Amino acid sequence: MTQLNQWRSLAGLRGDPQVEEFVKGEFAPGADLPPDATTRREFMTLAGASLSLAGCRRPVEHIVPFVEAPEHTLPGVPKRYATTMPCGTSAYGLVVESHEGHPTKIEGNELHPATLGSSNARMQAATLELFDPDRSTHVLHKGERAAWADFVTAWKSLAAVHQQDGGAGLAVLAEPFAAPTLARLAAAFKQAFPKARWVTWEPTGEEHVHAGLERAAGRPLVRVHDLSAAKVVLALDSDFLLGDPEMVRHTRGLSQSRRVTSPDETPVRLYAVEGLHSVTGANADHRLRLQSRLVPAFVAALASELAHQGLALAAPAAEPPPGVTPAFVKALAADLLAHRGASLIIGGRRQPPALHAAVYALNAALGNAGRTVSYHEPVDTTLPSTAALGDLTRALGQGEVKTLVVLGANPAYAAPVDLGFAEAAKKAAEVVHVGLHVDETAALASWHVPAAHFLEAWGDARAAGGTPSVVQPLILPLYGGKSATEVLGLLATGEDKPGYDLVRATWQPVLGAAEFEKRWNRVLHDGLLADALLPALAPPPAAASLLEALSAEAARLGGASAALELVFEPCPRIHDGRYANLAWLQELPDAMTKAVWDNPLLLSPKTADALGLAKEEDTFAQRVRVEVSGRSLELPAIRVPGMADGTLVATLGYGRRAAGRVGNGVGIDTYALRGSEALDLALGATVKTLGAKVELSRTQEHGSMEGRAIVRSASVAEYRADPNFAHDAHAPELFSLWEEKKYTESPQWGMTIDLASCTGCNACAVACQSENNVPVVGKEQVRRGREMAWLRIDRYFEGEVETAGAVFQPVPCMQCENAPCEQVCPVAATVHDEQGLNAMVYNRCIGTRYCSNNCPYKVRRFNFFNYTKDTPESLKLAMNPDVTVRSRGVMEKCTYCVQRANRGRLDAKLGDRKLKDGDVKTACQQACPAQAIVFGDITDPDSQVSKLKRQPRNYSLLEELNTKPRTTYLARLRNPNPALEAHAPAGKDAHHG
Amino acid sequence: MAQVFPRAINKLPLILGAVGALAPAVAGAFVWYYFSPRYTDVGYQPTQPVPYSHKLHAGEFGIDCRYCHASVETSAVANVPPTQVCMNCHKLVQRDSPKLEALRVSAQSGQPMRWVRVHKLPDYAYFEHRAHLHAGIGCVSCHGHIEDMETVGQVEPLSMSWCLDCHRNPTPHRRPRAEVTNMKWTPPRDPAARQAQLEQLGPVRPPVDCSGCHR
Repeated sequence: MTQLNQWRSLAGLRGDPQVEEFVKGEFAPGADLPPDATTRREFMTLAGASLSLAGCRRPVEHIVPFVEAPEHTLPGVPKRYATTMPCGTSAYGLVVESHEGHPTKIEGNELHPATLGSSNARMQAATLELFDPDRSTHVLHKGERAAWADFVTAWKSLAAVHQQDGGAGLAVLAEPFAAPTLARLAAAFKQAFPKARWVTWEPTGEEHVHAGLERAAGRPLVRVHDLSAAKVVLALDSDFLLGDPEMVRHTRGLSQSRRVTSPDETPVRLYAVEGLHSVTGANADHRLRLQSRLVPAFVAALASELAHQGLALAAPAAEPPPGVTPAFVKALAADLLAHRGASLIIGGRRQPPALHAAVYALNAALGNAGRTVSYHEPVDTTLPSTAALGDLTRALGQGEVKTLVVLGANPAYAAPVDLGFAEAAKKAAEVVHVGLHVDETAALASWHVPAAHFLEAWGDARAAGGTPSVVQPLILPLYGGKSATEVLGLLATGEDKPGYDLVRATWQPVLGAAEFEKRWNRVLHDGLLADALLPALAPPPAAASLLEALSAEAARLGGASAALELVFEPCPRIHDGRYANLAWLQELPDAMTKAVWDNPLLLSPKTADALGLAKEEDTFAQRVRVEVSGRSLELPAIRVPGMADGTLVATLGYGRRAAGRVGNGVGIDTYALRGSEALDLALGATVKTLGAKVELSRTQEHGSMEGRAIVRSASVAEYRADPNFAHDAHAPELFSLWEEKKYTESPQWGMTIDLASCTGCNACAVACQSENNVPVVGKEQVRRGREMAWLRIDRYFEGEVETAGAVFQPVPCMQCENAPCEQVCPVAATVHDEQGLNAMVYNRCIGTRYCSNNCPYKVRRFNFFNYTKDTPESLKLAMNPDVTVRSRGVMEKCTYCVQRANRGRLDAKLGDRKLKDGDVKTACQQACPAQAIVFGDITDPDSQVSKLKRQPRNYSLLEELNTKPRTTYLARLRNPNPALEAHAPAGKDAHHG
Repeated sequence: MAQVFPRAINKLPLILGAVGALAPAVAGAFVWYYFSPRYTDVGYQPTQPVPYSHKLHAGEFGIDCRYCHASVETSAVANVPPTQVCMNCHKLVQRDSPKLEALRVSAQSGQPMRWVRVHKLPDYAYFEHRAHLHAGIGCVSCHGHIEDMETVGQVEPLSMSWCLDCHRNPTPHRRPRAEVTNMKWTPPRDPAARQAQLEQLGPVRPPVDCSGCHR
């Protein structure tokens, strides 16, 4: 196999002494220092005082049963309900676990096409959002507490005024939705107020995609990708595996087309052309570094080459942009042509409409339409438009709008700065804001109505592709919030009706009156209306001039001066800023930079050197001033290996001013640079380095395994030549100093993680956090190496600095059979059980930390402080009652979700049946959209995990230590194009060695 | 020269010696007793908001445990009954008893009863009632003769070593599943009959690993 040079950070690669110091010690320097000025002595005093106050008496505990028990509710038995998480024009089917009436854990709904049982980091964090203690709790009128009834009265008098002139002075600003009830109510509203403005807007929507498709097909369309059937995929500046709203669907599809069980099968080949270094790029077999502005020129050249190679396409001749060799374009075109009908081209949301129109034409010409990509009518859907927001702001500024209703959006924070939304909105007599938080926009509003979270309100939604489903609440609104459905119901009809009635009224004609209740219950049970998929449209023929328009656009963008381009990217974790108050997501290390609680400016190493940026350090970043279109902003900058030279990436969603106690002031508000003239791609940026350095918390050097062959990979050809490539032929025979423990019982738990499937999306890490009550520690504590994540995703860069690729490796506890941690624990607080689990016994642990020192995988986490002591009451409801909440001074680590294993075994026993494969799923496995994690009984030869462990790609991490880990990895596979492997880099592609 | 120290000081070394000799012994005894499973809550018998008599209901009337503690076979926890369950009978029986005032208030106001927990395990121990019932462990094994208690108190130590004693050797405590709530049940004298009973129950391997109960 070709083992590429793998490294974790630029500072580490250079041999920076600071990093070496960090890696050498088990704990970061100063890891035992308290978080503030409290000295150890004071700390002991405080601890002693609290002990003496608590005393040794038995506390009296009460049991508080129901007065009237609800039917089918048993204390101690969790229940699961299907519901839907609406997010813009997407909707994700979920199954939510509820303990004694409070939702604690999110899973995907296996029946729902958008999730198929998987989930992602944001879905996992929905319970945290529901119980967020900073949510808005009251209706506010001019900042004073009021009641919902007051607002209803106020609205009725407002409505009476507006009705007189047909609503000419009335405007609604709503987030995009795809929801039958909201669509019905919006139509009713427009009927009641025919002259009212209705503006749909979100800061980081897919406007360019919609505009491109409309231009190409002559009507608005929604695209849905099916990667499961694809053989060759080309991503054009598109992070469809992480940043995309449909990332779960895409990752599921890709993992299916990438999965190989024998050397005879060929996985999908993924090409990526992009300016930043995205997770999609890291997963590509060929990655071409190219500034975003040059991507249209690349597509023009590709189209020209495809036409040249015989595709029926009227493409004008075009040369590839600088930095791209004709050989790459030729090989790519040949590959696409060889897989007509099984290839797929995906354009990223940042690219101009002309590119999306051209991609439509290319996919149609390649015969992919209807196979790997389908197009649907946007039914019950409103699509976002920043232009409409601009018109609204102008109308507001001119005093034409008397009453503005903001449904969910946060324009005061996220609108393009040149619009001056906040100033304009002040001219409206009444601004009504409906939102989860008293946020930046609520500060402008005369009326604020707390919104109900989707887990506490009735609603409905359509998934991309049209599948309708119901949003079913799991709990009554915690703070009396009202859903968008209920508020819009009031606006449209003037009647205050419960959401349940409004939703059922929409579904009456859909399900039919005859068997309504029965069918309605079926929809609630399944989480969707199964037989109501919208048919894919036969794609209208592409207009002939699309490729000419693309060439013009390519010339416009490519012809710009060689100055830097600045691209805006919504944060893959906190999105456009709406999830900024969710600490799980803030502390989730970024997939590529491994930075937490921050959004530094990203640039390529070469660009950074040219700008005179100081050498890369792990925990500091130099400040720079970015100027673009007359606006400037200071923020820290870091190098990302593998990025295109001349591209700057500003991550949106940070620097919130009114997000809540977690999100306020975290990072820098990059919306300050974003004007409506260049929403996603701004040309002509300049950067000036400043002297000051700022602290940055990055986890990339934490848990280093110091240069050993950790992530093993090979190309498909190498795999065929030597299926056992992942094994070290020269490995010495292993023997143990001790008599090894024999495991005789069934089940024996084991896990495999397929690195060929894993995309590095982080869903598993948040699922683990949610399932196992893993605390959040904050930016400063992460700097000291005290993050508590039981499951971390290691990211290794591969190859040369400039052209580096990246690989990901999730690392939970390996559950070694010969566990080094157990051998050094002086109090037997970590021991093995009969199912082969390495158990951690919190109440025995005295906190010597020897175990962590002796763990070669660095997966043990120590509670330096009582991180859960100040947990707000509401957040306690989000915790899993089946898992102990750990206190200060104890070690903890992945348990293989022993609570799930115990429950599964007991359920089987009480049901007098044998445990089946799949009865027990760990939280990470269940969440994983790539289905890379498989868990099960290794004594059952037919279990999925046993089958995978028999694959030749199976290898143990640090096998030479004879730890006999129960968690093993399946080596990564790459499928490079042989035509390109011969020529070395076609331009800058990196992934083959 | 006046004496610097009073005469009583002469005894100081003796006192110090005595204290020095006794203190470790006292400390040792303290630790020996209070850190051991012997120091448990056996005998804890709090006053409940309603003087509910198990002796009357379970003993004299012979109401099955599961009439009130309904979830015991299907859930980890044996629920304390909702007010509604009490009122099923007390709507008709003892309607005006002053002892039941709190119960009536609860039923009318919708405010739940606040019973005092008697049998408490630490939060880091996860006990499953349903598993124990399925294995044929009777209520009486852990809760004692509830049917004789006017006020329920704790009779067994509920300490980890006490749990493990049974987990290591469960056979003497097992009984047919139909008899788990029978407080008066005794194993058959005939060894063959007992053997047949146990065989019908099937083998059981209660966990003795940490992860069986702690997670």
